[in-house]
Amino acid sequence: MRNFAAVPGRGVLLTAGSIAIAFLSWQVLSTFIFNPFLIPPPLEVIRTAIPMILSGEILADVSISMSRVLVGFAFGSLAAIVFGVLLGRLQLLHDLLDPIIELMRYLSPTAMIPIAVIWFGIGELSKYFLIFWGTFFIVLVNTIAGVWRAPIARQRAAECLGANQLQIFVLVVIPSAAPYIVTGMRVAMASSFMSIIPAEILAADSGIGYLLQKSSMLLQTNRIFVALLTICLLGFVFDRIFRFLVARTLARFMSFVAVT
Amino acid sequence: MLQLDKVRKVFPAAPEPYVALDGVDLEVADGEILCLLGPSGCGKSTLLNVLAGFERPSAGSVSCRGAPVRGAGRDRVMFFQDAGSALFPWLNVEENVRFGLRVRKVPKAQWAGIIDNYLRMVDLDRHRNKFPAQLSGGMRQRLQIARALAVEPAVLLMDEPFAALDALTRRRMHAVLLEIWQRTGKTIVFVTHDIAEAITLGDRIGIMSAGPCSIISKIIDLDLPRPRDLADPAVARLFNDIERLLAPDIARAEERAAH
Repeated sequence: MRNFAAVPGRGVLLTAGSIAIAFLSWQVLSTFIFNPFLIPPPLEVIRTAIPMILSGEILADVSISMSRVLVGFAFGSLAAIVFGVLLGRLQLLHDLLDPIIELMRYLSPTAMIPIAVIWFGIGELSKYFLIFWGTFFIVLVNTIAGVWRAPIARQRAAECLGANQLQIFVLVVIPSAAPYIVTGMRVAMASSFMSIIPAEILAADSGIGYLLQKSSMLLQTNRIFVALLTICLLGFVFDRIFRFLVARTLARFMSFVAVT
Repeated sequence: MLQLDKVRKVFPAAPEPYVALDGVDLEVADGEILCLLGPSGCGKSTLLNVLAGFERPSAGSVSCRGAPVRGAGRDRVMFFQDAGSALFPWLNVEENVRFGLRVRKVPKAQWAGIIDNYLRMVDLDRHRNKFPAQLSGGMRQRLQIARALAVEPAVLLMDEPFAALDALTRRRMHAVLLEIWQRTGKTIVFVTHDIAEAITLGDRIGIMSAGPCSIISKIIDLDLPRPRDLADPAVARLFNDIERLLAPDIARAEERAAH
């Protein structure tokens, strides 16, 4: 036991142990203490999940929710990065728009659902818009911060080496801001996962959120728990995929060099 | 070669503007090492920024080889203390050196030769695929030197480049710099607050008075053969003289910093 820290695969073991303990206590609590209708035990949830998976019902809901998240997230990030690097560089534009941004970023996607439904209906467009909205402000604020924090010494070094203003901007400032931009995107990804659910509960006829809403109306707590577990799993998997892609493509931009 | 004539630099500040430089006259000859020595906050860095062209003087004139300085020029390369932020952390050693060649549109065919030459000069050719984060502090500074030399400037402007290094590495860097200087004949303006460093490197030492309203109060010619040993009586005497000269200004600088 003393050398447990050195056991290979220790992390995996601990994770598996943690999940096993959680499931076990959940099973015990919901069987013997709580009302199993309100909190269905895990075995019951799995029994419910299997036909939902086999029939393709879950997959259909997952893919529609995920495509909404991805489209909104991609466009939101892209717009925010373009806008953010400009605002980070053009002081006057920033000073003009910053007060508005500072006010608007408190409008969460959830707050925007009622107006989005009126503007775009309950089809895909309103969901794209809501995810876009949530992503945009998070990535924007991070991009601006990243551009601002591009070290002045690095920009001046590039200038001495012969770079013109455009080259300094494209070859030095934007790469220097990359870690901030990526961090913003990761946070925005998590927030998109949180926003898509209320959007689908209130204004959709498909997706995981709609599944939650429908199951609630029919008092199908089993199915609600299947949907909740699905959300946990998806968020986790997507964050891992995002990190993997960043490590594969942007690794060299992600290292902050410590001050010598 | 480099000439400053009655240079003043005033920064807007509340409640009243801050006069960093108040009439600095200086001439730096081709191929010499001029050390600027003074207490912290004496405007050494401001003076260097003016020489580099990053800051415009509020009054007076700056020229390089007879041409007025109107911005960062390709003949003067600045060298920073914090190599971590001055280098491009997403480029490896070789690519950091290549950056200047690329933006200066040096013909591609010459890149490999130039890069090899300067990386070998600073003894980094075996580390060419490493990233700055994987280098030691001294190696990062050597990379900054190689990157600067690769664009073949006439003047190196160095802003306390070795101040953050440990004492042994700093001594090694002094030897590296002097060797490169002897081989390339660059003009070097070297800012430091370390008397021993100024004596080790300089042909001349410009003493700056504590700010605000700094000036170069005295220029000392160092007629001593290199390498200079601090144990040598002549060198030790010089060290003491400079220390005495700086003492009142250091006290003033401390006084100011305490407010």
